[in-house]
Amino acid sequence: MAELIYGPSYRAYDLGPEHPFSPERQEMALDLVAALGHTVQRIEPEPATREEILTVHDEGYVRAVEALSAGEPLDDAAALGLGTPDTPVFPGIDLAVRSLVGGTLTGARLVSEGRATRVLQFGGGLHHAHPASASGFCVYNDLAVAIKHLTANGLWVSYIDIDVHHGDGVQAAFYKDDKVQTISLHESGQYLFPGTGAIHELGDGMGRGLKINLPLEPFTDAQSYLEVFEMLVPRAVEAFGPHVLVVQAGADAHFDDPLADLALTTQAYEKLYRRILDLADQFTEGRVLVTLGGGYSLHAAARVWTILYLVMNDLPVPGAIPKAWAAKWAERLGGKTAATLHDADPPYERLPNRDEIAQRNQVVAKRLIDALMPYWF
Amino acid sequence: MFVRDIMTTAVITVAPDATLEQVCEIMHARNIRHLPVVEGGRLVGVITDRDVHSATSALCLTPSQPKGLVREAMAKEVKTAHALDPVEDAARTMRSLKIGCLPVLDGETLVGIITGIDLLDALLRLTGVDQPSGRIEVRLPDRPGGLARLTALIADRLLNVHSILTYPEGGQVRTVLRVNTLETRHLAEALRGAGFEVLWPVDKPWRS
Repeated sequence: MAELIYGPSYRAYDLGPEHPFSPERQEMALDLVAALGHTVQRIEPEPATREEILTVHDEGYVRAVEALSAGEPLDDAAALGLGTPDTPVFPGIDLAVRSLVGGTLTGARLVSEGRATRVLQFGGGLHHAHPASASGFCVYNDLAVAIKHLTANGLWVSYIDIDVHHGDGVQAAFYKDDKVQTISLHESGQYLFPGTGAIHELGDGMGRGLKINLPLEPFTDAQSYLEVFEMLVPRAVEAFGPHVLVVQAGADAHFDDPLADLALTTQAYEKLYRRILDLADQFTEGRVLVTLGGGYSLHAAARVWTILYLVMNDLPVPGAIPKAWAAKWAERLGGKTAATLHDADPPYERLPNRDEIAQRNQVVAKRLIDALMPYWF
Repeated sequence: MFVRDIMTTAVITVAPDATLEQVCEIMHARNIRHLPVVEGGRLVGVITDRDVHSATSALCLTPSQPKGLVREAMAKEVKTAHALDPVEDAARTMRSLKIGCLPVLDGETLVGIITGIDLLDALLRLTGVDQPSGRIEVRLPDRPGGLARLTALIADRLLNVHSILTYPEGGQVRTVLRVNTLETRHLAEALRGAGFEVLWPVDKPWRS
């Protein structure tokens, strides 16, 4: 059983009709959960306050967001990553993004106050926002604000980022922090935004050895992904010994994602979620806070996050999707049939260079583990 | 990019009558491999860790002792650079002579040193990721206006190019751009539509 955090205010973080980071993604998933016959009990969060935002972000940057949000012109907005095609601004954006931050922070409070162990924040995951700049659809970093709250309350955090893009903003916020371990698995920055997340980014000062990046080859499939996850993540978490896991569960490593190039399936996500909950049971007495994130194929993200909800609530994952749901969202599904929760098996023909990709990922994972070994003993 | 942009200015030097033992100590303590040799304010040689090893090796016909002098083991014919030399000139000299450093002179005064490591740092700066960005790789015909047309298309979409790296390849120009967007696939599609040969991102090998 997981606490679910979601509020109608999340709709307000809408970057435009053509923008991929659409609030409809989680609405479709919640609607699918309901269509499967589950009553969703939700906690509606308060927006994060300005002071809470300032635990992570520079005041000058926050002032810029507030100014743009109030419709005031700003000369150097683009230099702060604001008002770009990726991260446009609109009147009220400050409150809209604080609502998402408030959700993740509410989840962190539930955990720090001992009122919940498993929390699913059905939004947020704005992992690209840096302390002093916006980037990649993200204005404030809800994950970093939540993690700050947890460490301020004496809880060490292992942050696991399975979004297909490197979790650069969260890593930057805690690069020298010895209470926060960040682990990001992502498509290699050589190929994909934001370009960082190489294995040599290991943290600085007291945080050295606690910032962990596993860059993966384009077209990495489920088997290879799960293999390197297993090589790295359990050992890393065990070596650190956190009190709580914070997970950015972006769904954009799915093969149908229009922005990236990995090749996970819904089946792989189900396995991955179960493994993450296992790790929480094994190392953090079950304490885990999960957010959403990227995931720009509505067809894939709605199903992947429905599976996330079901797994976190110990509910069975059924085969069929109710026809009424598929009919209701037909237009948004872009003609893709949505008859089953899981992908077809196999979902696509085996890639000719599949083994080469898997071997390369193994080599990189091994190199990374070799680099981490001195910090693990 | 000029030599002055990448050289080390706080140069550690030795005198020609210093001992090999002292040189060895300095190199270990500072974690460096090249020492300009200076006498009376003038550069008279360069001594490298390899010079020290060769001079003291048992394989040397007349091996030096630890108290042997730098002037016996150093290279006396020294290639130098000027602070305003282009980095590529320095790189070419070091590459063609297979040497590891160039002392930088202003007249007769030693003002810096550039080593192979500085050139690697320069390479990392040229190819590195300084700002969150996605990668687009395009093969352009080696004709006037190709790059201009490419960047104009990107500018039309209000995107910012953080860096461009180009290199010739079989009569064409391979161009790697870092652009401030997650939506490189979208951009690649538009570029292909405008007739560009986009090498990355490629189409996915499966249908979706």
